[in-house]
Amino acid sequence: MATKEELLEKLKEGVVEYEEDTVKEASQQWLDEGYLALDGIMDGLAAGMEIVGDLYDKNEYFVPEVLMCADALYGGLAILRPHVPKSDEGVNAQVVIGSIQGDVHDIGKNLVKMMFDVAGWDVHDLGRDVPLENFVEEQLRTDSEVVAMSAMMTTTMLGMKKVIAMIKEKNPNVAIMLGGAPVTKDVANLFGADGYAESAGNAVSEGIKMIGRLREMRAKG
Amino acid sequence: MAELTPKERVMRLLRKEPIDTMPFFSGMGMVVMPGIKKAGFNFPTIHTSAERMAWSAIESARLMNFDCVVIPYDMTMESEAMGNTISLYEDSEDILYPTIPNKMWSTLDEVVVPDKIWEKGRLAFLPEAIKIIKENAPELPVGCWQLGPFTQAGQILELDLMLKGVFKQKEKVGEVLDKLTDMIIGIGKNLQAAGCDYIVLREPGVAADLLSPRTFKEFIQPRLTRILAAWDSPKLLHICGKTEPLLEMMAQCGADGLTVDIKCDVRKGREILGPDVLFMGNVDTYTMTCDEKTPVQKSIDHIKDMIDGGVDAVMPGCDLWPAIIEENMKACVDTTHEYGKKASPAVGRL
Repeated sequence: MATKEELLEKLKEGVVEYEEDTVKEASQQWLDEGYLALDGIMDGLAAGMEIVGDLYDKNEYFVPEVLMCADALYGGLAILRPHVPKSDEGVNAQVVIGSIQGDVHDIGKNLVKMMFDVAGWDVHDLGRDVPLENFVEEQLRTDSEVVAMSAMMTTTMLGMKKVIAMIKEKNPNVAIMLGGAPVTKDVANLFGADGYAESAGNAVSEGIKMIGRLREMRAKG
Repeated sequence: MAELTPKERVMRLLRKEPIDTMPFFSGMGMVVMPGIKKAGFNFPTIHTSAERMAWSAIESARLMNFDCVVIPYDMTMESEAMGNTISLYEDSEDILYPTIPNKMWSTLDEVVVPDKIWEKGRLAFLPEAIKIIKENAPELPVGCWQLGPFTQAGQILELDLMLKGVFKQKEKVGEVLDKLTDMIIGIGKNLQAAGCDYIVLREPGVAADLLSPRTFKEFIQPRLTRILAAWDSPKLLHICGKTEPLLEMMAQCGADGLTVDIKCDVRKGREILGPDVLFMGNVDTYTMTCDEKTPVQKSIDHIKDMIDGGVDAVMPGCDLWPAIIEENMKACVDTTHEYGKKASPAVGRL
């Protein structure tokens, strides 16, 4: 029988070493031992992803490794998440996410989505190549607190500016997050966005930092 | 000595021969809305005929005083010629380049490159477009480009298949890259035979913020080297994103010159490469050319700083976004021509 600490270590290591099967096995074991699913997610899977973020920042991991770590994390999340009672989430928030029209790449978008999935948000994923007005409509329909958009191509990022203006006009309190390879911090500022992630990789790095803050808040709370 | 034509200027620069002043040119998108409008077309239509492509390119260069024309404009021609369907966004009010919304292949095993792909789909009209430009604008050099094999793979397969495959399916990723490398060599040779004056191999999907330099060395560098060895000069290599860790390896790939985007500090780049490598870049293609809030003086200073930083030619760091602010765009070009009269590290002056 594995101890709680041993299992958490296994979850963490499994994510860092992108061993999906190990993570799935440890997640099942975690539940079988009767531990709280949310602890496994936050102190195991998310803690592992934090290490991945560090490795990415230190140029030891790159996007392929991060994508494989994300697969491992999702393997565990699929097992643990259904066992988290809604009242335990501590978060009751929604996000609309998508890659903007003209952009058929969604790696950055999916990495940011992972952060919201871990945090237990309700994620409204519009996919990729999303017409601008769909972001606005979906935000209004769901009353989401955050709209996250990505563009991998310089040529599509200007669409973001229009979406931001349209959303802010209807609902100035919505927080807007931008990410994608060509979007620099200056551009995000010019567009009037509230958050920014520089690239697919930085999106995950930023996303992971947000997971870190979430974990800190949980520890304090 | 009389002023050189743009073509003379660029061709001499690419051979590192003395020139009159620095050119403003590129091997990536140089088509801009004022040129498209002057030619009488809408954005979605310029991708689909030799005539419209050629004239929108010529008018763009002439209006803005660019030192080149560059075709084609979009990255989907090869994928389309393999059988994928493109989206032209004909109903959109925005400027949107063609994309492949859904890829027909979902595994690395399925990739098949048709024989003589350059005779298929829109690729088939590129020689005609080159001919029209050469006949009607003999003063302008015609630049063409091909995506590198890794980035091209992202047009025919989901990119995460390739990215994860670098670890999980090394052999299969290698096979796909080899097939595409052969294709790229063939298309490039066909463009050169049709009269393109210089060619750029652009591989934006392999920057050091995406792939490790180790992966670059193992998977990418050998293929870029093979492509560049097969093409005639002049030939350039461009990589977007974080490139400082890659510059030395880029310089070993056999290109006549290297080009980079805004994420590369040109001073550091020049320091890494030394004075003899033809090194070009890296105009910020949003802030300096498209943002109405950018004062013209800021665009001018941006170009001067780049020239002082050690570039041999000023080049947009990426495709120019077509909705340029004319005043800023012209200031970028004029400043290059005026401020670039002194010799650059790798190229002297007449």
